[in-house]
Amino acid sequence: MVATAATSSFFPITSSPDSIDSKNKKLGNGSTNLGGIKLKPSASSGSLQVKANAQAPPKINGTTVVMTPVEGFPSEDAASSLPPRTFINQLPDWSMLLAAMTTIFLAAEKQWMMLDWKPKRPDMLIDPFGIGRIVQDGLVFRQNFSIRSYEIGADRTASIETLMNHLQETAINHCKSAGLLGDGFGATPGMCRKNLIWVVTRMQVVVDRYPTWGDVVQVDTWVSASGKNGMRRDWLVSNSKTGEILTRASSVWVMMNKLTRRLSKIPEEVRGEIEPHFMNSDPVVAEDNRKLVKLDDSTAQYVRKGLTPRWSDLDVNQHVNNVKYVGWILESTPLGIVESHELCSMTLEYRRECGRDSVLQSLTAVSGVGNLGNMGEIECQHLLQLEEGSEIVRGRTQWRPKNAKSFGKMDQVPAQSA
Amino acid sequence: MLKFSYCNATDLNQALVQCRFAGSFGPLSSRRRSPRAVVSCSRSNLTPIQAVLSCQQQVGSDPVESELGSLADRLRLGGLTEDGLSYKEKFIIRCYEVGINKTATIETIANLLQEVGGNHAQNVGFSRDGFATSPTMRKLHLIWVTARMHIEVYKYPAWSDVIEIETWCQNEGRIGTRRDWILKDVATGEVIGRATSKWVMMNEDTRRLQKVSDDVKEEYLVFCPREPRLAFPEENNKSLKKISKLEDPVQYSRLGLMPRRADLDMNQHVNNVTYIGWVLESMPEEIIDTHELQTITLDYRRECQRDDVVDSLTGPELAEGSEIHGTNGSATAITREDDLDCHQFLHLLRLSSDGQEINRGRTEWRKKRT
Repeated sequence: MVATAATSSFFPITSSPDSIDSKNKKLGNGSTNLGGIKLKPSASSGSLQVKANAQAPPKINGTTVVMTPVEGFPSEDAASSLPPRTFINQLPDWSMLLAAMTTIFLAAEKQWMMLDWKPKRPDMLIDPFGIGRIVQDGLVFRQNFSIRSYEIGADRTASIETLMNHLQETAINHCKSAGLLGDGFGATPGMCRKNLIWVVTRMQVVVDRYPTWGDVVQVDTWVSASGKNGMRRDWLVSNSKTGEILTRASSVWVMMNKLTRRLSKIPEEVRGEIEPHFMNSDPVVAEDNRKLVKLDDSTAQYVRKGLTPRWSDLDVNQHVNNVKYVGWILESTPLGIVESHELCSMTLEYRRECGRDSVLQSLTAVSGVGNLGNMGEIECQHLLQLEEGSEIVRGRTQWRPKNAKSFGKMDQVPAQSA
Repeated sequence: MLKFSYCNATDLNQALVQCRFAGSFGPLSSRRRSPRAVVSCSRSNLTPIQAVLSCQQQVGSDPVESELGSLADRLRLGGLTEDGLSYKEKFIIRCYEVGINKTATIETIANLLQEVGGNHAQNVGFSRDGFATSPTMRKLHLIWVTARMHIEVYKYPAWSDVIEIETWCQNEGRIGTRRDWILKDVATGEVIGRATSKWVMMNEDTRRLQKVSDDVKEEYLVFCPREPRLAFPEENNKSLKKISKLEDPVQYSRLGLMPRRADLDMNQHVNNVTYIGWVLESMPEEIIDTHELQTITLDYRRECQRDDVVDSLTGPELAEGSEIHGTNGSATAITREDDLDCHQFLHLLRLSSDGQEINRGRTEWRKKRT
């Protein structure tokens, strides 16, 4: 079981009326199947609902600030469709808001004039530097990231580690913006009193398309119940500009006593703290329940030994950051697959954490080629373990040929032309 | 580190830069561009967060400009300064960039320096493709490679701190070019770090160094400050200090380090920032626990590839006239009479197989403030 600093838990969110994003048709109302809902993109000039603050929206690395609207303020889907001047005339009582709107539109017209901007109210949840904010009735946290040059992998797209880093960052920022990051594990006050922490047991990631350098991705995250005593944290990553869904991920968490290291039921008082923040939704990724096999020296085709954590792999608790496991798993994946295919899906089961002095080995077996009716898809099984035997992570990955979409088209090309 | 291939083939004068130090900025185009953006954060120390928008003048019919006017570019929190001779960008420190000290790691700092260098290049119209070169350089199969990197950090930023990095480049004698950086904490305005790097030109095929010819130099001088501007203007500063080679027997070592897939750039060479991590691997743990890295200087001698195995060696650096004080069996040189909390080390990275030197370095460590 791994406890990470980036665990997400539930804590009472100090919701203000300003955080209700009721007018935006984003993720539905909690009871809808999130997987089926198209995410409304925070396009550059869209959704500039303003709070009572005459400042222009700051931008960061391509993210647009979606300022959460004042309750009752008529929201507009496309900022450009709102004529500021008549609006001012019609609603003199909102003069301050309208002054703000005007400022914003003038700024937009001049294409992002440079301004100094100060947040007057820290609780506004404005997001100038990508810290993110709560949307969707206070249950969803959203943050934008621009892909930096050193986050790019061999094929010029963001690496899977980069994507998972973003997921981790939003999870921890979700905790922070809701006002509770007590011991670094995102535990609620009730949990802290009982020495309970969240640990992640399982993670599934499905990548439909990898972002490239310079893209801005929007990551939404929320939590739900998982069975009676677990929690599920889901993420939806989309292209900030086009709204296209890039990645979906889902993780399962259980509660553990940090002293005894035993699993725990969720105590009633903690249930009271966290359940109000659970979204009632289906998992964003269809659960892959197939058992993950444990590889050994005879079943593994590829082994990479001698993997040791570097200083930069460790989190503040001197445990290896979860995301590093993914890199190690890929170390033993045959180069041929990595070069010709891209990782489209990954399932991980976390067993144990490891620290600075661990020496690990990564085992891979290719378990399927051309599975699932998809030509060219490859499936691999993985095991990351200490060289002395303890399992750290079990995994399964699926790989599709790079440019798979264009392969599809090629199938339809007529065979011969005279 | 991979670079994004981005082709601006339209303008013959448009030179593209090839950067060995992933993304960092080498020679500049001869194409004269009016300074875009005018971004500078106000130097006031008052506001905890300042959002600064970069203004990109859309020059209408210019095809290159419109190509570069993507959403990310226009909204990037950075741009050229008013005089067009340097570039500034703000970054927020993310949680996964923070290490055991709860502050950004030196690798994070180095990555950000690299990022801003590359963004500078891209902002003035150069692509960050690893193969980008000026036409002259391309014809002669020339590329820039990092020779030395020197970083000083006075105060490490913590998670969710915002820092601003300013960078510029200029000519360096006959054989190279340099890029300098200054890092500031946006909240307080104080300088939290400085860095400088030196680049030389190398023939891609023969891997031999070459003098910078005048025509190549002309191409980039346009964007460099006319007067020399140094991040380290003080005389005898540490960025100029010669690094001695660590000789056997060495005091501390970590053997058998191997590149991970993520350490390799598009050319299958190990990313420069990875070397910093390797250098630190052989640091004695008692120093890592009690001190933080103040200064690191690395001289790059040889490149390292995917299948290479590397040994990291560390030993105390002895200044002239200093004494060695033995403490608990480990000797550390205390070189400053008045500052017993500062330690200096020499480092060597070499191939396990034949002992060839990959790079050498020196570090200075100061006691952590509790």
